Amino acid sequence: MTLPPLLEARGLVRDFGPHRAVADVDLTLDVGELMALFGPNGAGKSTLLRLLSGSLRPTEGELHFRGVPFMPGDPRVARQVGVLSHRSFLYRHLTARENLRFYGRLYGVVGLEERVARRLETVGLQARMDHRVATFSRGMVQRLALARTLLHDPALVVLDEPFTGLDLDAALRLSRVLTEVRSDQRAVILVTHDLQRGRELATRVGVMSRGRLEVQAPAHSLDGPGLEALYRRVVEVPS
Amino acid sequence: MTAWIWAVWAILHKDLTREFRTWERLVAMASFAILTAILFNYALDRTEVDPARIASGLIWMTVLFSGLLGLGRTFHLEEEEDALVGLLLTPIPREALYFGKVAANAVLLGVIGGLLLGVFGLFFGLEVRGNPWALAGVMALGIVGFTAVGTLFSAISAGTTMGESLLPLLVFPLLVPLILFGGRATALVLSGGPAEALGGPVRMLGAFAVLALVTGGLLFRYVVEE
Amino acid sequence: MSLRMIRWTALTLATAGLVLAVLFHWQVFFRVPTEASMGLVQRIFYIHAPAAWVAFLAFGIVALCSAVYLWLGEARLDRAALAAAEGGFVFTTIVLLTGPLWGKIAWGTWWTWEPRLTLTLLLWFIYLSYFLVRGATENPGRSQRFAAVVGIVGALNIPLIHISVLWFRSLHPQPVVVRADGPSLHPDMLNTLLTAMGSFTLLFLALFLLRYSVERMGDRADALVREQLHPTPGPTPRA
Repeated sequence: MTLPPLLEARGLVRDFGPHRAVADVDLTLDVGELMALFGPNGAGKSTLLRLLSGSLRPTEGELHFRGVPFMPGDPRVARQVGVLSHRSFLYRHLTARENLRFYGRLYGVVGLEERVARRLETVGLQARMDHRVATFSRGMVQRLALARTLLHDPALVVLDEPFTGLDLDAALRLSRVLTEVRSDQRAVILVTHDLQRGRELATRVGVMSRGRLEVQAPAHSLDGPGLEALYRRVVEVPS
Repeated sequence: MTAWIWAVWAILHKDLTREFRTWERLVAMASFAILTAILFNYALDRTEVDPARIASGLIWMTVLFSGLLGLGRTFHLEEEEDALVGLLLTPIPREALYFGKVAANAVLLGVIGGLLLGVFGLFFGLEVRGNPWALAGVMALGIVGFTAVGTLFSAISAGTTMGESLLPLLVFPLLVPLILFGGRATALVLSGGPAEALGGPVRMLGAFAVLALVTGGLLFRYVVEE
Repeated sequence: MSLRMIRWTALTLATAGLVLAVLFHWQVFFRVPTEASMGLVQRIFYIHAPAAWVAFLAFGIVALCSAVYLWLGEARLDRAALAAAEGGFVFTTIVLLTGPLWGKIAWGTWWTWEPRLTLTLLLWFIYLSYFLVRGATENPGRSQRFAAVVGIVGALNIPLIHISVLWFRSLHPQPVVVRADGPSLHPDMLNTLLTAMGSFTLLFLALFLLRYSVERMGDRADALVREQLHPTPGPTPRA
């Protein structure tokens, strides 16, 4: 007997008034995968991620987590999802440790202190753990945000343009930590404008345009120029 | 249930930690309250009216105004790094978030209420002739009702393009019971009036607080969820 | 019910309402006996009281539709709440205009802190904030939910506000229609009042249905725009 996929979306649609942000998306994501999602601004990538992470209600369509249908706000699913966006969700006036402690309490993490220390170590911030986030550089904030994302050991990790606003070194450092996020225990979905970085991290790539997930392909089947050609073909379809 | 209480506590603790580190809202609210009391001194002709006699109404009006100043910021605090999105992704029930916020706001407003009583005592020779504990109870009850309504609507106003300027319009029509019965009850305690007369206003304040907390708890999720 | 049906019903109701309006104006001017203590001006009562009845009826509909809308998420209920609110707002304004006119002549003052008049004024502001909230968000779904919350909380608070304003001594004439020992009005007066109430209720329902059908047409227009921008999916290109 095969296990149901970690996350399955069928016929996902989301409207904002007359605007259809996500149109009829089918997507299956399983543990061990890292899917990179590309597309121009306004293609509906962020909306799709919000639907998948359960923070937005779909207008139509179904979402299943480990084969069980779910709606936004379902605590059983929320406990297993971690989201990293280009906004950190952190409080500037609290220290790194206080921020993680706060989120750890909300997620009901057991052995919190030890877990917080370990996550801070993973992202290389243990020396600064009692400093306020306000004193951190953008890159450090983003690494702390990653520690927050992984704090409760989520099975689904959603990365929404995590490199935005980072300089070259900070981005390199973050993507080094991100390679460790991929594991047999979890699925990762990543949205980025950086085609090459996304392709290097991913096992699968997808391109969205005008609310549709137009193409999906295994990452190893494409080289750099191949991905770019595919992207251009999908995005610039005349209609 | 314990997880629920933990979540409320975590949010209360986080909000207060932040506040006692930045003092942003408390300083703004406290200065507003004291300055208003100073302005009252010049607004009222003290040969005609004794401020101590109309103090209860003035105190409640000042609590509401400075309260709106602070409550209006409740959800802006969560928006600088989209923290509200992060909070809504956590498995805690939405009501826990609401009650945590109400609790933190009520604590801040309680501090302001206490300060105002002191300031009025100092500036206008206000005396508490009745039971000071009854006064504390009346203030607390009114403040809980007010923050319950104000926190719900500050989540709404923060989600609109009008922001805080919408908040008074949303909240003031609903606060008539609070200002009336809060003012009456406070006046009674201050003047040392008969304790039996306190029952009616206090029951109304209690009814207002309970109704506000229950509806706030039920409706909050529809304000923050999308 | 189809939009066509709704519009026909609305027109029929409006016609009936207007006929009754002509009838009750004739009654007010030519038939009803002059009230002994307040004189001619008391005749404004035949507009004032029915308008107040409709204002509160409308707010009841707003609250009810809003509550069920939040519960079921059915967009039509939100449109109904909006339509009722707009009708109610018109009649609340009529109450607030006729009240002081009557008061000035009967009591010698434009404004008194008469409980029901005060309550109506606060109701007018609650309606106003209902419209402002709807207009002040960029996301249509959000503005509908916000408005629903305002409508529900406003309605729940009305009894409490009512008790509060009753604490002030009332200058207002005591209720004369509903009494245990039967109506104390002159039969002609009662007739006129009931005709006016019927007329206003019909006119309100007509307005309500017309406004509702306009909103539904707006929804259809939105759906057409979506269909234009996102035609039903064709074959998906594969990589």
